[in-house]
Amino acid sequence: MPGIDESLLQAMRLPGARGAAVVDWISGLALGAVGDAPGGDLEAAAAETAELARLATESGVLAPAGDDAGGASGKEPPVQDLIITNSDSYHLLRFVTTTFDSTVFLHLWLDRGEGNLALARIRLAEMADRLVLG
Amino acid sequence: MITPTRTARTDEPASALLGTLAAQGASGALSTEAGIVYLAAGHVVHVESALTPDIGDLLTHSGALAPDGWWEAIDQAGRRCRVGRQLVDSGHLAVGALELCHLGALFDAAYFVLAHDGPALRFRPGAAHWLGAVRAVPVDTVLRESRRRRELLHRIWPEPAIDLAPLARVPDADPADLPHRRSRTLAQVDGVRTAAQIATVLACRTFHTLVELRRLAAAGLVVPKVPAPAPGSAPAPAPAPAHVSAEPGPAPRPTAPDEPDTALLRRLLHALEAL
Repeated sequence: MPGIDESLLQAMRLPGARGAAVVDWISGLALGAVGDAPGGDLEAAAAETAELARLATESGVLAPAGDDAGGASGKEPPVQDLIITNSDSYHLLRFVTTTFDSTVFLHLWLDRGEGNLALARIRLAEMADRLVLG
Repeated sequence: MITPTRTARTDEPASALLGTLAAQGASGALSTEAGIVYLAAGHVVHVESALTPDIGDLLTHSGALAPDGWWEAIDQAGRRCRVGRQLVDSGHLAVGALELCHLGALFDAAYFVLAHDGPALRFRPGAAHWLGAVRAVPVDTVLRESRRRRELLHRIWPEPAIDLAPLARVPDADPADLPHRRSRTLAQVDGVRTAAQIATVLACRTFHTLVELRRLAAAGLVVPKVPAPAPGSAPAPAPAPAHVSAEPGPAPRPTAPDEPDTALLRRLLHALEAL
C-alpha cells in the first residue's frame, strides 16, 4: 500500500519523469516531492501550480455540463486533470479525490522528448486512486 | 505515554523555542495558549489546536471512517501511541489517506499555534502523541508555512477579525455562482458561528475554511459581527452546533453524541496540560 513518498517514486519511474509532487491547491503547500522542481524552487512551483489548480476547480465553465457535477457524493472535483505543454516538457496535474477534506493534486513534470503524455495521464490517475484507497 | 518531566515556564516565543528544540533533536510536547506541538527527534510529528478539527474529527465527521473504527483504534493502540498505524493495519484507512489527513490537520493546527507566535508555556520532554509516527516534518518547514499562510490570508482580504469573530451574511448581497466550497461555507454563516465552528460543522480544516471566508468577505458577502450593543437587546448567542461530536483523544468514549463545544473542552484540556 503506497504512501505519499512511494506514490511519488512510482510516478518518477514513468518515462521522462523530471519531478513529482503532492500539492494542496488551497494553501499552496507541497506535502511531498521527489526529483527536480520546475523552475528550481519547490515552494514557488507548488504555490503557482496550486493557484492554477484552484482556478480550474472553481471554474463553472470547465465543470461537466451534466447535473451530476461533483459526483454522487459531492466530493469529486469538477475537474480531473490539467495538462500544460511547453516546448520541452509536459506538466500533468491530477486531482486526488478523498472522502475527507484534503484538496490535493499530484503534479508530474515530464520531459517532452522522452515522456508519453497519454500513458502518464492514465498511470497518474491510477496512482491518485491507490494513494487514498490503498 | 511517557511520564512528563516538569520544566520551567518560559516567555520565549514558541517559534524560537521550537528552533532550539529542533537543533537539539528533542522529543516532547510544547504547549502554547493556542495548542500543542509534538516533537520527535527534533521534527514536528503532530500539532493540536482548540481552533482546528483534529484528525479524528476530519475522518469521522466526513464519513471517511466510521466512528466505531476510529474508537476501536483508539482503544487498541491509544496507550501505545500507535493509533495511526492501527488504523492502517486494521484496514480502516490507506497509508496515503492517513498521511494526507494527518498533514492536513498538522499544518492547520500549526497555523493557529504559530502564525501569531505567542509565548511557549511549557515543554514536556518525552511526551508523545497518541496518534504515533505518521509523517515527521522539519520545524523550519512548519514555521515557514505558518508565516506563508498568514500572508496568503492577508493578500485575499486584510481583515483578521474574520478569523475569530462570529460571522454574519451581508443582507441583500447576491451570492450567485459561487464555487462549491465557498457556497457551502457561506451556507453555514449564521451570525453566531465563528470560522472554527463552521469548519467543525463542515468537517473541514479551519485554515481552508478561513480562505473561503476571507474570499467571501472580499466579495462583500460576509462580515465579522460587531459585539452586541446593549445587554438585553438581543438573545444570547446559541452554543456551538450540535453536530460537534466525539472528543477525539484516547479519552473514554463519549456517551452523549452531542457535546456542547468540543473547542472549549479541548482548550480546557490544553490549559490543564500546560499547568
